This record gives sequence, structure tokens and C-alpha cells, in this order.
Amino acid sequence: MSRLWRTGLMGVLLTGALVACGGESEDTQVRDNTQEVLDYYAAYPELFQFKTPADLPADLAWENGMDLPDLGSPDAQKGGTQYGSIQDFPRTLRTVGPDSNGGFRTWLLDDVTLPLASLHPDREFEFYPALATQWAVDEDTATVYARLDPNARWSDGVPITTDDFMFMFFYHRSEYIVAPWYNNYYENTFSNITRYDDHTLSVTLKTNKPDFMHHALDLRPEPQHFYKELGDDFVERYQWRFAPTTGPYVVRDEDLVQGRSVTLTRLDNWWAKDKKFFRNRYNIDRVVLNVIRDTNNVFESFKRGDIDQFGLNLAEHWYEKLPNDDPDVANGYIYKSVFYNQRPRPNYGLWMNTSRPLLDNQEVRVGLQYATNWDLVIESFFRGDYTRMNTTSDGYGEFSHPDLQARSFDIDMAQESFAAAGFTSRGADGILVNEQGQRLAFTVTTGYESLRDILTILREEAAKAGVEYRIEVLDQTAAWQKVQEKQHDIAFVALGVGVEMSPRFWDTMHSDNAYDDAFLADGSVNPDRQVKVQTNNMEVLANYELDQMIDVYADSSSREEMLVLSHQMLEFHHNYASFVPGFVQDFYRIGHWRWVKYPAFFNHRTPSLATELHVHWIDMEAKAQTLAARAGGETFEPEIRVFDQYREP
Amino acid sequence: MLALNPETLKKIRRFRQIKRGYYSFLALMFLLLLFAIGELLINNRALIVSYEGELYFPTYSAFHPGTDFGLPYSYETNYRDLKARFQEQGGDNWLLLPLVPYSANENHSTTGIFRPEPPAPEYQHYLGTDTTSRDILARLFYGTRTALFFAIAFTLAVYFIGIAIGAAMGYFGGLFDLLFQRVIEIWSNVPFLYMVIIIFSVIPDTFSIFFRIMVLLSVMVLFSWTSMTYFMRTETYKQKSRDYVASARIIGASDTRIIFKHILPNVLATLVTFMPFTVIAAITAITALDFLGFGLPPPTPSLGELLKQGTSNLRTAPWIVTSAFGTLVVLLTLVTFIGEAIRESFDPKRFTVYK
Repeated sequence: MSRLWRTGLMGVLLTGALVACGGESEDTQVRDNTQEVLDYYAAYPELFQFKTPADLPADLAWENGMDLPDLGSPDAQKGGTQYGSIQDFPRTLRTVGPDSNGGFRTWLLDDVTLPLASLHPDREFEFYPALATQWAVDEDTATVYARLDPNARWSDGVPITTDDFMFMFFYHRSEYIVAPWYNNYYENTFSNITRYDDHTLSVTLKTNKPDFMHHALDLRPEPQHFYKELGDDFVERYQWRFAPTTGPYVVRDEDLVQGRSVTLTRLDNWWAKDKKFFRNRYNIDRVVLNVIRDTNNVFESFKRGDIDQFGLNLAEHWYEKLPNDDPDVANGYIYKSVFYNQRPRPNYGLWMNTSRPLLDNQEVRVGLQYATNWDLVIESFFRGDYTRMNTTSDGYGEFSHPDLQARSFDIDMAQESFAAAGFTSRGADGILVNEQGQRLAFTVTTGYESLRDILTILREEAAKAGVEYRIEVLDQTAAWQKVQEKQHDIAFVALGVGVEMSPRFWDTMHSDNAYDDAFLADGSVNPDRQVKVQTNNMEVLANYELDQMIDVYADSSSREEMLVLSHQMLEFHHNYASFVPGFVQDFYRIGHWRWVKYPAFFNHRTPSLATELHVHWIDMEAKAQTLAARAGGETFEPEIRVFDQYREP
Repeated sequence: MLALNPETLKKIRRFRQIKRGYYSFLALMFLLLLFAIGELLINNRALIVSYEGELYFPTYSAFHPGTDFGLPYSYETNYRDLKARFQEQGGDNWLLLPLVPYSANENHSTTGIFRPEPPAPEYQHYLGTDTTSRDILARLFYGTRTALFFAIAFTLAVYFIGIAIGAAMGYFGGLFDLLFQRVIEIWSNVPFLYMVIIIFSVIPDTFSIFFRIMVLLSVMVLFSWTSMTYFMRTETYKQKSRDYVASARIIGASDTRIIFKHILPNVLATLVTFMPFTVIAAITAITALDFLGFGLPPPTPSLGELLKQGTSNLRTAPWIVTSAFGTLVVLLTLVTFIGEAIRESFDPKRFTVYK
């Protein structure tokens, strides 16, 4: 992260220097890396292979996912303009490299571009076609074969071919893009890409994990013709150039108003607009995103009708700022909708650094579990709308543990555990001390400014059990950095999770990510081990038996074996007690003006945001009607809607 | 003694004649007194508990676990509940609660849901509660106390350093003056806010809140004394060439004596007039730092934090911002009035006519 940031700064400095010198010779020179790319392919003959259609295995079972249900609603109308907001003006239009991982990236990549095939949001692990018309999975060799749609076009009209996929590997593995995560992912995940003809390819992965096809089918090509100038100056050269996209939305140069707003425009002749899974989606012609930094101002803009939709996840917004008896809601101008979704849940909770004194004591950790009153937070702060999280991996269906329960707040149990750890008497301030005079006090670090109140509640409650939580609210980057450097006692963070079949354990629980050489060859603790930084093992959790389980799990290709292991590891983790599970939000709720229309079933099962799949549309007539009615005092039926078809019991 | 000096007595008399400033001063002194005994007025600990024939004074003592008063828990006694319990039992046990029986940090909701509640005298939430149901009066009181004591300490420290260095520069002049001027020019160009952010990011969080306040104070003083030196330096230059300084030197007075005994009283008038502005600057600085999130760690009560909560709940909970803003206005007005009065009473020209 810091390296990225430094590089970004270098970029800024360099540009500054160039401008200062007034030199333009380097900028006007046009690079052409076609030969370089070919040489690269030749240099890695294992990775890049060129064959003919005749070489395709004959017995492939081709699938096309066309029997899956449609997405969106056939009632959807195309057209209209949607007004929204972004917190920061995008710092770049690149989707990789320094500063590219901002909130605007969803509009450039995540939600809009097309992979080969996507997970159907209503089904368990079934794919619907996007860039591919057909694909075949060979589980033995961990290979996915795909046939591209011959009609697929980049937004500048150039056909999308297998070459763009080959180039994608070159691009993501190159040092030019200054994106170590991508370098690493492409290096370690895939072992081969083969070109059979312009529209047929295959991708092979290094391991045939049960969900390997997801990694392959999720690949999104890069436009080779656009990145001909790819070189050392990628970061600056492509900073403000909109790359041709496979998706429906483009950013035109004139729609970038620096520091103020960005507007996206729908392609009239988008190649996929009549396809089964896209015809009812991406309905809005123009999406205007204005920069509004302060959430309260965003809300006020929404209330004025300048913005069409506003997320009401926080109780404060749902109950206080936009209550059901608010005139705009009661008169039917603004609808409020709750949608219960099903997906892996971000694991909000307290992550204890077990390499710290006191926290390395199992009894202390168990005590802290009992001393942390999440139930009160859920009850009083979230008003009972959220539920308690039970393990690090809730929401993975069968992979989540069926009956593990997080420990509830219990002062007596907490004191029992603390007493077992030697903390028996209370000091003058009511905090427990042991015989050496050590106080039972820990710093809780977080980067979530909006959730600081939660920590103050936990702090007051923990004091009852004799623990002091010192609260440290840092800037988000600084907090994350502190946790990555393993400088924290206890961190209040959540790791974002995408929709995946099975939870990951290696990142957060394997000793590889806790210490350099955590164990000696015989499995005993290495006395000279050093804490490893810049990993996601926030608990510095290192256990030899657990390592074995994680390794088997990681290499396993049997779903049954993985299920058993997953449950075993979650049980181990529960007993180890180094993570105090927090809360789960099993829904999202939004307020939207009457003219924003959603399908009758509102949305599909897995997205975490209402707009993620772009199934909504804007009814411009209804907008004019609503605004006129609001001005004239005419009212409509209020709508407060709950969609609980996917609510988990 | 300075207090017996007839000149000083005259100034005090003059000050008392300026009613607006004088009453402001009295009001501020009264406030300071209240702050000094704050724990007796606003606190969730009882003032006196009479239990089983024995008297307890929990305010300033170590915490009393519930078991001390026959309650079944080992954590700090909830004295409000205890009072209700005593009344229910109807025995000889009794206790006396402070006027506002809440601490600044405890969440006390009347509905079981943590949300801002409007002022409710029946629950003794006289200014309502904030977004997590903490008593605003308690938070305001302790937040203001921190800000005010901080401001006073800040002013004293800045004046001490500023006067000493400024007077030395003016008095010694020459190379010393030249060098120090350059040092100050460089020093005053170091961005203060960044320094605070950087320093606070490296302070270990194990340090107590009091220590953090002290660090904040030192950093602010470190970057604020420079402006004072300019005035001191020019004033001292002016006074130095006067005859009375020359005669003091002939008598054999030391440099220190000349500066502090002879020159200082003559330049005080100018300095004193700056004092209220320094106090105001300190209060606004600590408020602004809290507002930006670089002040004291949560849940320390502070004016800035209240203002921030208030502005983000402007429509739904206007009582938060009104209390915080009102306090700030009153406080700054008082200090300004006092400042005006001091300036006027120190002015040797009693009647000034502007032409």
C-alpha cells in the first residue's frame, strides 16, 4: 500500500517536472509494443500457447447457461438520467495501478464490464453467459474452454477476440501497471492460456479447487489495441484516458468536469443490449455523479430531489432522518425499501493480536469474548435490525458452521476467565489488575469514523466486566496500515468478501501470514520467529494443527472434505477465541424517489447494493408528475416495502 | 508586592468601573469555580450514601462495587438505581445525587434505543441527549472545562516564552536579534496542523488522556509563541533607549532585573490586550482539532465533538448544536468583554479623542 502510494507521489512529482520543463517531445512520441508483447508470449511458452480448433478435446461438455432465468424485469424502460453522488472525484480513469481502487471503479470495472460468464445471482454457483456464448469445464486438468461471442465489440467498435485475453495476461503480469496484487494473482492462479482461433480459448489454473472455474470465467479482457503505448509511463499516460470497455457505459472526455462531476453515457448500440441476461438491465441513458463529500449534504441533496436514491442502512437514517412519517415519505414521493439478501457477510468484529502480551493468553481472550457487549450494540444502536455474527465466515451456506454461537455478554463468565488468567482484584477505577500490577487494558483501533459510537458503547460495558478498551479512531488508511503492520492490540475492522463458494482461511489464519518460519520442522514453535507484517492474519494466529488443516483445505478438490475441514477450523477458531464476532447486516435498505423503478421482486439474491446489477430504471414521466404533484400538494400512496423472499431464518 | 503598587490599584479600580467587563470577569470566575468542583454537580456518583448506618462519599474516592451496597454485582454501583432501590425498601438508607446524575460517557436511554432525545427535565437530561444517548449537559460541561483550562494554560505558557524571548531579542539586539528573527521566521512557517497530526500519530495510545492533552498543549505552545515575540521585541527596543533604563544600568542592575522589573511593566499594556484573543484562539483551536478528529480520543467529551454531532443532525436533533454553539458563543463573548475592559483599564490615556 505504502509502496503504491509512494509511486503515485512519484508520478505526481514527475508530471510536475515535465510540465515545468515544458518539454513535449516525449509525450507526442507514440509507442507500439506489439512486438514486445509477442516476444513476451514467446518467452513464456508454457503460459501462452497457440493451437488450432482441431486441437480442442473432442469430448468437451459445452454449457451455455441459457436455461437460467432472466435478470431484471421485462417492464424496464430505457432512457432517462440518473443523478447520484461520489465522495471524491476519481483520481484516475485507470482500473489498475496507484489510486485506481476508489469508489468510482465500480463504474469503470466491477459492475459494468463483462467477464466470460458470471455467477447467476439467484442460483448456487451457476453461470450465465456474458462475453462467452459457450464454455466447457475440464475438472481433471483445471481447464476452462470458452467460445467468445463473435458479435462482442469494444465500445470503440473493435471486435473482442482471443488476443485481448492473451494480452490481459501480459498486461496484468507486467511491472508497468504498478499493481503488485494483480501481478501476484495472475502469476499464482493461472498456468496456461491457449488460443485456438479468434474466438476460442482455454484457461488453465494451477489448482483444481472446486470453484476454479469461477476464477477462469470471471476473467475480463483488456483492449490490446488501446494499450499499444503501454510502458513505464503507464501511470501518467493512461491517467485520464477512458479505456474501451466491454460494458454499456462510457465516459466521454467532455463529461469529466475536474473536481466536480463525472457523467456516464450508455452506448446506443451496445453489442449485448439484446442478449438474454442483459436486455432488461443497464436501462439508464445518462448517469450524472456529482462530487459531494459530506454524507449529510448527500442526504440533503437527496431530500431535495437532486439525487435519486440514498442508502438508508444506518438506523439513524432509516428511523431519524427519513422516518415513515416524513412528509415526502408519507405523501408517497419517496419510497423506502428493505431487501434481505444472501451472501457472505463482511466479518465485523474485534480482531485480537495474539502476539501481544496478555492477548497471548487464552483465558484473557475468552474473557474478552464475554466482556464485549455486541448484543447491546445490536439492540440499542442498530435497533435490533442487525443480527449477531457467529464466526468469521457467516453466509457461505453449508460452508458456514451450522450451530456455532458467538459468546454472549456475561460479566460473571468474563470475570471467571480473567480470574483464571490472574486478574482477580479491581483497581481504584474498577479495572482489573493482576498481582504484578498490570491493568487489563487494551487499545481498540478502528478506521470506521461512522462506527466510533459502537466502540464507546462497548467500552462502557466492558468496564463493568473490569476491562478497559481504549478507543483509537484513525484515518482509514492509517488504521489499516497499523493493522497490517501488526501494531494493534485489538482491531475493529471487517474484511470485504465477494460472492464465493467457500470461505478463505489461509489469508487470515495460516502461520505463513503470522510469522516468518513460525514452526521448526518437527512442528514445535520456532523461538526466533518474527511477526510477519503486511498480511491479513490480523490475529497473528499460528497453530501447527490448524496449518495442516488449512493446507489440506487449500489443496482439496473434494467438496465434502472441504466442508468437514471448514467446520473443524471454525470450531478451532471459536475455541481459540481471538476474534469477537460482531454483527451481520442481512439486508440493505434504500430510499428512492417515486420515479426510480425496480422490478416487482425488487432485486436478485446476492448483490450487496440495490444498484449493483443495474436492474432499475428511471421513469422520466413519473419524475415530472411527482415533482409537479409535490409542488401542487397532490399526494400518492406511501410505499414502505419489505422484500424478505431471501431472508434467512 | 505588585498588588500594592498604586498604579496597579488604579488599574484595578478602573477595571471595576467598566461594568460589562467586570461582570463578565465575575461570571467567568464563577464558571471556573463551578468547573473546579464539577464532579459534585454533574456526576453519576452519589455525593453521600448512607448505608447500614455508615456514610460513604463516593465522588472523589475509589470506585464502590455494587456489593458494597448490597447489590449483586461487582462493578461500579449505579447510584440512580440504588436510590430507587432505597426508596422502594423504605429503610434508613438514603443517598444524595448531584444535580445532574449522569457522567459524560455513559449511555443512558429512556427508551432502550440509543438515539438523540430532546431535553427532558423529568429524566434530568436538561439539555437532552446526544446520538448515543449520553447526557449533553454533562458532555458540554466537561468538554468546556477541558477547553477552558487548556486555554488558560496555553495563554500562560505562550506569554511566558513569548515575553522572555521577545524581550531578550529587543534588549540585546545585534546578532542575537538577527539570528533569532530568522529562526522565528523559519519556525513560524512550519504548518502547525500537520505537525499535530504527525505527532499524534506517533504517540503510543497507552498514554493517558491527561498526557495527550499535555502533548497537544505543548505542540500548540511550541508553534504559537512566535507571534508574541514581534510585539515584545519592538516594544523593548523602544523602552531600551529611554533614560530610566540607562539610569538603572548605571546603578548596576542586572539585565534580568532591567527587563523584568523596569521594561516589562511599561510594555504590559500592549501585551494584556492580546490576552483574550490568545484565549479565544486556544479554545477555537482545540475545538477545531476535535471537529476534524485530531483532538482527544473518544469518548472524551469535547466541544468540537458535540459541534460535529450537532451539525450532522441539524434537522433531527437541533438541541445538540444549539447547546454547543450557545456555550461557545457565551464563552467567547465573556472573554472578549473581559479583554476589552483590561485593555481600557491599562490604557494610560484615560480620555482618548479620535480626530
